Amino acid sequence: MNMKKPIKVGIIGDFNSNSPFHKSTNESLVHTGIAMDVAVDSSWLPTESLDVEANEKTLKRFDALWCSPGSPYKSMNGALKAIRFAREMGWPFIGT
Amino acid sequence: MKDAEHEETAPGAPRLVISKLSCSLVGKIEKVRIIPGLLAHQAYGDQEVSEQFACNYGLNREYLKKLEERGLRITGVDADGDARIIELPGHRFFVGTLFLPQLLSRPDRPHPLITAYVRAALSFQAAGHPHK
Repeated sequence: MNMKKPIKVGIIGDFNSNSPFHKSTNESLVHTGIAMDVAVDSSWLPTESLDVEANEKTLKRFDALWCSPGSPYKSMNGALKAIRFAREMGWPFIGT
Repeated sequence: MKDAEHEETAPGAPRLVISKLSCSLVGKIEKVRIIPGLLAHQAYGDQEVSEQFACNYGLNREYLKKLEERGLRITGVDADGDARIIELPGHRFFVGTLFLPQLLSRPDRPHPLITAYVRAALSFQAAGHPHK
């Protein structure tokens, strides 16, 4: 059993269970976690919820941020604010 | 660039930093040449990889110089030299891809770029989230 602290990944995007791209984003993190023997705990962050001044509090809870495929986002501003946070504060970030 | 825009959501805007590709990449697997020296190269090793795309828009060449002046680096290109991977050197891990690496991930074959990303998250967590 894996007793290590899970890695928390925040996925910037509006999750749609019909999107194969969204499903594969989740699955790819699971594959990677298993191969590396780390638990990866991913959560989707709806873009509208990120278009607020206090989004830092939400974003800081994660160990890394991932900007998901699926533009146009419900809130382009929310997505951009989260990406800017990652860029300026040095949070590991990938956008695919 | 305050007024940078995306052709999908703001067609006709004066600064289309993200513009429509000359030909759609939806559903295509294409070769990407990795530029040595940065994260993409560390992750893949290979100088040329195949990746799956699902997009109609990409980085507009006209703005490349301006973005590079601000620190952005192109670390993966297509056969015509157009940007397919970007990075921000100096940042612990900041990578953008025009393709979807997650589509080629398999349970027994995780994607090298996503592995590098999770590894960066692990060290960031272990270091207690130091600000850059």
